[in-house]
Amino acid sequence: MARKPENPIFLERERYRMRRLMDAARLAPVLAAFLFLLPLMWSASEAVKTASVLVYLFAAWGLLTAVTAFLSRKLHKIPRDKWQERP
Amino acid sequence: MGMLNVLVTVSLAYVTFLFMVAFFADRAAARGRSKWLQSPLIYTLSLSIYCTAWTFYGAVGYAARSGVEFLTIYLGPSIVMIGWWLILRKLVRIGRSQRVTSIADLISSRFGKSNSLAVVVTVIAVVGTTPYIALQLQSVTLALDAFAGEEVTPSVGPSATALWLAVGLALFTVLFGTRNLDANERHDGVVMAIAVEAVVKLVALVAVGLFVIWGIGGGIGPTMERISQSEIARWDVSAGRWMGLMFLSSAALLTLPRMFQVMVVENEDERHLATASWAFPAYLLLMSLFVVPIAVLGLEYMPDGANPDLFVLTLPLAEGRNTLAMLSFLGGFSSATSMVIVAAIALSTMVSNHIVMPIWLSTQGSTAMVAGDVRHVVLLSRRLSIMGVLTLGYLYHHTTGGGEALASIGLISFAGVAQTLPALLGGIFWRGATRVGALMGMVVGFVLWAYTLFMPSFGPEVFMSETFLREGPFGWGWLRPEALFGIASSDPVVHSVVWSMSLNTFTFFIFSLISFPTPLERLQGAQFVNVFDHSARPGSWSRGLAEAEDLLVMAQRILGPSEAQSLFRSEAVSQGITGYLPETTPEFLQRLEREMAGSVGAATAHAMVGQILGRASVTVEDLMAVADETAQIMEYSNQLEAKSAELTRTARQLRAANEKLTQMSVQKDAFLSQISHELRTPMTSIRAFSEILRDGGLDDAALAKYAGIIHDEAIRLTRLLDDLLDLSVLENGQVSLNERVGKIGDVLNQAVAAAGIENSRLRVVRSKVREDLMIYTDLDRLSQVFINLISNALKYCDAARPRLEVSIRDLGDTLAIDFIDNGSGIPMASQDVIFEKFSRVGSDQAAGGAGLGLAICREIMHRLGGTVSYLPGQGGGAFRVILPVTVVRSGR
Repeated sequence: MARKPENPIFLERERYRMRRLMDAARLAPVLAAFLFLLPLMWSASEAVKTASVLVYLFAAWGLLTAVTAFLSRKLHKIPRDKWQERP
Repeated sequence: MGMLNVLVTVSLAYVTFLFMVAFFADRAAARGRSKWLQSPLIYTLSLSIYCTAWTFYGAVGYAARSGVEFLTIYLGPSIVMIGWWLILRKLVRIGRSQRVTSIADLISSRFGKSNSLAVVVTVIAVVGTTPYIALQLQSVTLALDAFAGEEVTPSVGPSATALWLAVGLALFTVLFGTRNLDANERHDGVVMAIAVEAVVKLVALVAVGLFVIWGIGGGIGPTMERISQSEIARWDVSAGRWMGLMFLSSAALLTLPRMFQVMVVENEDERHLATASWAFPAYLLLMSLFVVPIAVLGLEYMPDGANPDLFVLTLPLAEGRNTLAMLSFLGGFSSATSMVIVAAIALSTMVSNHIVMPIWLSTQGSTAMVAGDVRHVVLLSRRLSIMGVLTLGYLYHHTTGGGEALASIGLISFAGVAQTLPALLGGIFWRGATRVGALMGMVVGFVLWAYTLFMPSFGPEVFMSETFLREGPFGWGWLRPEALFGIASSDPVVHSVVWSMSLNTFTFFIFSLISFPTPLERLQGAQFVNVFDHSARPGSWSRGLAEAEDLLVMAQRILGPSEAQSLFRSEAVSQGITGYLPETTPEFLQRLEREMAGSVGAATAHAMVGQILGRASVTVEDLMAVADETAQIMEYSNQLEAKSAELTRTARQLRAANEKLTQMSVQKDAFLSQISHELRTPMTSIRAFSEILRDGGLDDAALAKYAGIIHDEAIRLTRLLDDLLDLSVLENGQVSLNERVGKIGDVLNQAVAAAGIENSRLRVVRSKVREDLMIYTDLDRLSQVFINLISNALKYCDAARPRLEVSIRDLGDTLAIDFIDNGSGIPMASQDVIFEKFSRVGSDQAAGGAGLGLAICREIMHRLGGTVSYLPGQGGGAFRVILPVTVVRSGR
C-alpha cells in the first residue's frame, strides 16, 4: 500500500508532540511515587520534624496535581479515537 | 435534650433534601435533560466516596496516634489517578466496550465469562466490605453519642441508632439504586446525591480546619509551632508501613467494589477521567490538609482519654461552636451514608448477577424461554441483595459491638479486596493470564488474608485461641498466623499484605503458565488486552440454528420490548434486511449478548444465549483473528474482512431481492387471474340478473330484489376499482395531502368508530398514555390506515375472545403506534408478502377483501413519511405504524 500524500512536516511534528505527551502522562505516576517515597531517606538522619515533612508532601502533591492538570488538558484535546497504544 | 433534638431535626431535613436531590436528578435524566448531570465535575465528586467516615473521623485519630503515616491512604490513590493514562483509562474503556456491571463481572468476563470466578470475587468483596459497612454505622452512632453526651436515653441506645440508619439507607438504595434495570447500570439520582454529599463533607472538614487553625491555634505560624512541640512532632515512620500502606491504598482504589462502581460503571464519558486525574488528587489534598492541625490541637485541648477519632466533632463542641459541630456531624454523616449506598449497590449487583440469578435460572429448567418478565426477577433479586448486604453490615456491627479503633478495620478491608488486583491487572495487560491462574491466585490470597489478618483481628478466642496465635496450629511455629515461616514482622498488616499479595501473584502466574485457556478465554483476553486497537472484533458464536424470533422474545424480557425491538431493527437494517429479524450472525449475537450483559452480567447473558443456540463455541475465524499478531496481517485481513463483509451484505441483499422478485412474478400472474376473477364475479351476477329483468314478467318484490343485487354488485365493483385507483395514485405520487393539526387520540377514536366493530366480538383495548399528543399530518389518510388495521384484526383474529391492543410508544426520534391482537398471528413465511397487492394469508376468500388494504396502508405511510410493518414475536398478529417525530413536534 502506497502512503497517502500528506503535509509531512506539520503532521509529523504534531503527531510527534502527541506521542511525547502520552509518554509524559505515562511517566507522571513514577515521578509521583518517587516524590512521595523520598521522605523515607530522611528518617535515618537527625530529628526531622513532622511539620517540615508535611510542608514538603503537600507541596509535592500540589505540584503533581498542577502537572497532571496541564497534561490532562492537553491530552483532552486529542480526539478520543487517537487515544491508542500504538501508531 | 435540646441539642440532640435540633441535631436529629437537622439530620432528617438533610436526608429529605438528599432524597429530593436524587429524585429530581433521576427525573431530569429520564427526560433527557441530564447534560449537567454528566459533567466531569459530578464524576470527580462522585469518586470522593473513597473518603468515608474513616477519612472524616478516622484520619484525625490516625494522625493523633501515628503522625504523618495517615497520608499514605491518600497519596496512594493520588498516584493511581495521576497515572490514569496507564491503568484507569484502559479499565474504563474495557468497562464501556464490554458493558461491565461490576468488578466481578469484569474479571469473569475476561476469563471466559466464568461464573465460578465471579462467585469468588463476589465472596471476597462481600467479606471485605461488610466490616467496612459496619464501621460506617458505628461512626455515625459514635458521633451521635458524642453529641448527646449523657443525654442518651436507654431506649435510643447505640444499636437502635445503627438499626434505624441501616433501614433508612436500605430504603434510599432500593428506591434510587434499583429504580430501573438500566441497560448500562447508571444511577443518576444516586450519583448526584453523592456529589452533593462530597461537597458537604469537604466544606465541613475545611470549616473545622480553618476554625482550628485561626480560631484556636492562632494562625498558620503558631499552629506549625504547636505541631513541632506535640507528641507527633518527630518524623519516625517505618519504611515498610509507608510503602505497604501506599501500595494497599493504590490497590484499593482499583479494586474496592464501590470505587469500581463510580469510576467504571457509572462513567458517562471516558474524557471525564482526564479531569478527575487532577481534580480528585486535589480533592484528597484538601481533605487531608487540616488533619494534622486538628489532631495536634485535639491532643492539646481535649482531656486525656478522649477518643481522637472524634476530634473533628468534639473539638468544636468543647469550644462551644454548636453550629460548626453540627456541620461537622453532617459531614461525617455524608461520608458514612454515601459509602454505604454505593457499596450496597455494587455488592447487590454482584450478588444478584452472579449468585442469585444463576441459581434462579437453573431452577427454571434448562430453557431460557422462561415465562414472564425476567426484569422483575432481576430487580427483586437486587433489592433483596441490598437488604441482605445491609443486614450483614448491621449484624457485624451488632455482634462485634464496635469499640476498636476505626482505622484498623479499614486497612483489613483494603487488604481483603486487594486480593483481586493480580487477576484484574493481569487480565487487562497480559494475554497469557488464564482462568485457572486467576482462580487459584485469588483463592490463595484470600485464604492467606483471612488466616493472617482477618481472623486474628477479632482478637484471641473468637476464631483462634491464644495458644494458636502464639504457637501456631498443632504447635507448628512456622504456621503462626502473624509470623508465617518464622518471619515475625512488627506489623501484622504489612506482614499479611506481603505474604498474601506475593503468593497470590506467584500462584496466578504459575497456574497461568501451566494451564491452557479455552478458546473463549483467548478471545476475551485479546479483546481486553488490545482494547484500544480493535474495540469491535468478531464475535464468539458460531452460526448456529438460532431462531431470531426466540432471541427476540428472550431479549424483550430482559431489555424491555422497545429497547430489544430497536436493537433487532437496527441490526437488521445494517444487514440490509427489512423487518425486525436479522440473521443471527456472530457479530449480532455478540452485540446482543453485550447489551444483555448490561442487565444481568456477562456470564448469565452468555449462558442464556447459549441455551437458545444450543451450544457455545468459537469459530475458526475467531481463533484466526486472535492468532493474527502482526500489523501487516492484521491490515491485510481487515481489508479482506471488509471486502468479504461487503460481499456478504451484497449477496444477502441480492438473495432477498431475488426472492422478492420471484414472489412478485408469481404475484403478477396471480394479479391478472385475481383481477379477472374479482371483476368477473360481480359481472356474472349483474349480467344474469339484468337478463332476468330484461325478459320481464316479474312481480314488484322480485323486481326490487334483483335490482338490489345488481346495485350491490355494482357498488362492490366500484369499491374495488376505487381501491385500485387509490393505490395507483399513491404509488405514482400524485396524491395531494391535506395536512392539519390534530390529536392522535381523536384520529384513533374516529378509526375505531368507522371500522364497524360495534356488533362484533372484537374488543379494542387502548392505553391512554400519549394519546393526547398533537400531530401534524394528513389525519384522514392516517385514519384510513388505522381503520384498515382494526378491520384486519376484526377479520383475521381467530382467538375465542378476540382482543386488539392499541398502544403508543415514544421511540426517541419516532413515534410508534402498535396494534397487537391475540390471534395466531401471521406465519413467518407470509410476513414478507402481506404488504403486497392481492396477497392474502391462507385461502380466506371468506373474509371478502381483495387484499389491497395493507398495500394501500403501506403506500399511505410512505407518503406521510412513516412506515407500517409487521412486528413479530408479540404472541399474536401485530402491526406497528411509525410516524416521524418531526410530524409530532411540529404539531406541538
